Order: sequence, then structure tokens, then C-alpha cells
Amino acid sequence: MTIPFEFKQYTSIIKSTGKKAKNLHDLREGISAVSKESIFHHTYQYSLKAHVLEYTNDFAQWAGESIEERALSEILSNIDPYAFKDIDGLRKELLNVIDDYLKNFPEPRDAVSGNEFYFNEAVTFIFPAGIRVKNLAEFLMAIKYIDASSIYYHFYESRRRLGGIDDFSKWFEDELGKKELSEKIRLIDPFMHNIEKIREHISELLEAEVKNDMEAIK
Amino acid sequence: MERYSGISPKGDLLLIMRLCETLKNRTFLHINSTRSGGGVAEILHRMLPILEEIGVAARWEIIEGDKRFFDITKKIHNALHGRTEKITKDMWDYHFEINKRNAESINLNADAVLIHDPQPVPLIEFKKGGKWIWRCHIDVSNPQKDVYEYLRRYCERYEAAIFSVSKFAKAMPLSEFIIPPSIDPISEKNMELSNDEIKGTLNRFQIPADRPIILQVSRFDRFKDPIGVIKAYKDVRKYNDCILILAGSPATDDPEGEIVLNEVKEFAEGSPDIHILLLPPFSDRDINALQRASTIVLQKSLKEGFGLTVSEAMWKGKPVIGGAAGGIPLQIIHGVTGFLVHSVEGTAFRIRQILNNPEMAKRMGGTGREYVRNNFLITRQVRDYLSVWYSLENKGKNILEL
Repeated sequence: MTIPFEFKQYTSIIKSTGKKAKNLHDLREGISAVSKESIFHHTYQYSLKAHVLEYTNDFAQWAGESIEERALSEILSNIDPYAFKDIDGLRKELLNVIDDYLKNFPEPRDAVSGNEFYFNEAVTFIFPAGIRVKNLAEFLMAIKYIDASSIYYHFYESRRRLGGIDDFSKWFEDELGKKELSEKIRLIDPFMHNIEKIREHISELLEAEVKNDMEAIK
Repeated sequence: MERYSGISPKGDLLLIMRLCETLKNRTFLHINSTRSGGGVAEILHRMLPILEEIGVAARWEIIEGDKRFFDITKKIHNALHGRTEKITKDMWDYHFEINKRNAESINLNADAVLIHDPQPVPLIEFKKGGKWIWRCHIDVSNPQKDVYEYLRRYCERYEAAIFSVSKFAKAMPLSEFIIPPSIDPISEKNMELSNDEIKGTLNRFQIPADRPIILQVSRFDRFKDPIGVIKAYKDVRKYNDCILILAGSPATDDPEGEIVLNEVKEFAEGSPDIHILLLPPFSDRDINALQRASTIVLQKSLKEGFGLTVSEAMWKGKPVIGGAAGGIPLQIIHGVTGFLVHSVEGTAFRIRQILNNPEMAKRMGGTGREYVRNNFLITRQVRDYLSVWYSLENKGKNILEL
């Protein structure tokens, strides 16, 4: 018997740590000292915001936009938070990147007053979205209209829970036996698309799969 | 909640319902210093009925004070915004004394108490129980140090503080949440209006509808830079024929309002196309109509708590030009939903740019409305207040499954 897929909703409220950085030295100090929750918020949860795809985390965005350290911004954007087994590993990598950069550019500029980096954390609420689906066709309808935060929870946040994969492909494989479809879903690069594009890609793949299933002669 | 279904994001409504399963029938007390004028009173007028409707026993109390008290709190307000003010020990003592008197007459018993702004902040000394939260609506990013330090003694006794913008928060030994304020899409201020009603309102104020209208709605307060708005308008008038409306209501806790209004009137003298409207409190429907009748809405603040008139105008599909102060940059995405400006000249330039590009104005207006739907509607704020309360009751947990 197929276990239905239950969509969950993901909402965060922001908490300030009271810490801020006006230049790269302060940012480095902040990254080394703030809570794991703060690092998590500024990196993993970045995908939750509607964003320009130039950056993949708040540190990269601030380096690029507020202190105009473009090269550093590029390197920070290329860090994949899901490649680390814990937050401290990610924190270490962020610090290494900044330290290397500071060796070459030891006197970084200050941000204009008011554009400092503010270290925040989030308190996150996870709750049922009230939508359960039993098959691919129902899933297709749901993914088209479900709230963006739901896609974040099942497509991005799941990578921490499940060790690098998303909830959707896991359900397609485990419950519907759709191994090939799962593999296609897993090939979607989470960092090269915003949530709306992820929705589009998944919908397209599902649409093709549903069409294929309907045409198959069994 | 049903009234917001199809307007507010569904996720916000679902979370409110979930949180209410725990917080239903519990008491939630709000205290501020005025029932009319300004954004705080306006939000409370709308939020209290919603909280009651969803089963939370919400109450709103006002602290009473005399002219001396409000003169002092206005100075405190100005100092927190960064203006130099002298607050003597006597004044602080009087500030405390008035709060003490209020503590004797207000029932402070509640499961959660939200104290709005600095006027009632000393009430924490009279706490009887429950979760006490200080809600700071003003821009305290560059406060006069001694004034902030004095208030901090009170703030640090609260369990949590709420600021509208990250940069307002300070390093304090308590939980500090960031919650922007909001607008109510179904209130008289923001509901849909017919074209006839909009025209009728313009007629009543004797404002011709034959040219583009530029509008700023705000208290007559120097931080809102009404004089700067008129200067920008006069500059625009060299190139474009248009009308300027400055509309505002008096607030009972703002003794400077009348002085600034007179300055503005004097500065606008001899310009028949500048309309200065002093609207009585609760003129929400008129403000709604004026915003809808406008081509461009301004909020050229020099200092700002949040500047909710920006979201109000964006909700009505208007491009907004705002000063890059307080919470305005959180609402205006520069070049996408409007423009952020830093000078009178910048304001004049952007007005001309929008007046001469109606397609861009339409695009900005449409994007702005969606942005407000997802971020600045009252249901999101109700959700956030209940979330803070719930998280304080589950302290230490960063992920809460409901």
C-alpha cells in the first residue's frame, strides 16, 4: 500500500543576534563566533528568499553588494552547504575562504553606515500544508500550486535530513517505484534555480511522466 | 480568517490556526500611548478584532499622561531617532512616575504582554506574570547614546524585544525578534473603492482630477520632510504639470505637529496646485481614495520607523518613491517596485522619470502589490506575534513542529 505524500509548510521568524559586521574582518570574526543557527540561516535558508541567482548565501550577497568585493563574493557563492556533514564544517570553509582572500587584500573597505551585515537566526515552524497526494497525477497538481516554502522544505531542507537528497524523489522511488524519474529530479541543481524555477522543472518532468504512463499499453 | 482567504498567503492562515490550538482563550495584552494617529494605533485597531476572532483573549490599554509627559516622550522619541535632546533626571523620574500611576489603574495580568514603544516601557517594573515583550516600532539604529542606555535598563528586564528591521536591534541579553509591521487589506484604508467614490473624494477636497497627482500621506513631522517634498514638487513643475497633495492626521501624542503644519503651509503659499489636507483621525477611507487617485505616492522620510504608507500605496498598485530610511528600503525594491531616494533632487528626478513612463509605473505597481501580499499583510504579523509568544513558551528550540 502506497503511503501518501504529505506536503509540509515551512515558516520562519527572524531573530537578531545583535552582532553586526562593517567590514570583512568583522564578518570573519562574526562567522567564527555566531551560533550554528545563525550560519544555518545565512546559508541554507537563503534559498527560501526570492533572490537573484548571482548569490547562494547572505555572506556572498553582502560581499558583492555592500562592500563590493566581487571576487570574494564569487568564491563564497560557489560553496555548497550540503557538501558538509555539519555546520562547523561549513563554518570552517567560510573562514578559510575569507582568510585566503584577506591574505591578498588585507585592507578591505567598510560598508556604508546602515549597510552593515547583521547576523540573524531563525525560529522555524514546520506544519502540515493540508495537502496529501497518492499518485503522480495528484502530485503534479499539488506541486503547481503549493506554497513556495513547502518546496523549500521538501527540496532543499530535506538534504540535511536525508543526507543530500530531496523528499520528492525519495517518495517517487520508495512509494511509486519510479527510479528513473527520481534520478532526473535529483539532477536538478538546487543552486542554479530559484524556488519558482524548481517548481517549473519538477512540473515538466512529472507532466512528461504522467503522459508517458497514460500512453503505455499494459 | 475566512475574510482573508484568497487574499493572504494560505501558509500564514494555516500557521495562525495551528498556533491557536495552543493559545486559544489565553490572554494577550497590548499597551501603547495613543488610540489614534500613527501606525501603531492603526495596526492595533485592526489586529485586536482578528485576535479575538481566532479565540485569543486580546485586550488593548492606553497609558494616560499629561502634556509634560508627552513632551518628555516626544523628546525621548526624537533622541532615539538620533536628534540631540536633553533629558534630565527629573524628566526620567516623571516618565517613571506617570507609568507608575498607570500601573495602578491598568490590569496588567495577562499570559503575554506586548508593550509598544518607549512611552510605557517602565511598566515592566510592575509586571505580575506572563511573557513580557517590548515592541519597538521606531528607528533606533543611531540613537542618542545616553537616552538609549537609560531605556535599556528597562528593556533588559523584558523576556524579548521585537524590532521592525534588523539594523534597529541591539546586542542585549534577551531574545530579539525582527517583525515588520503590516497593513490590513480589507480595512477601510486598503479595501477596493469604486471610481465614483474616488472622484467624489477629490471633489470634496476640491482637487481637480485633470492632471497626475503626487501624494504624501504622513503626520506633519520634520522627519517626514514635508518641506523637502514641496521643494521636489516645485522642481518637477518646471517640466511636468501635476498636483501635489500633502495629507496627514494630528496625533494626540505629538505636540510638534501644529508647528510643522504651519511651516509647511507657509512654504506652500502661492502654489495653488499644492493641497495641504489636515484630516481628522479615522479618515481612512479618504486616504484610501487619495492613494488610489494618485499617479505616484511619496514617503520622503529622513527618519522612519517603518513607513507603512509605502505598503499601502504598493497594495493599490502605485509606484512609490521613498527616502532610504528605516523600514522603507525593506518595502521598496529599488527600480522594481519604486525608487529609493536620498535627496530632494533625487525625488524630483524620479517623479519625472515615472510621470514620463506610464508603462514602467504600471509594471512597478503590479510587482509591488504582489510583494506586499507576500510580506506585509496583517495576517503575517498576527502569525509572527503568535509565533514569538509560542516560541517563548518553548524556549531553546529553534525548530518547532506543529
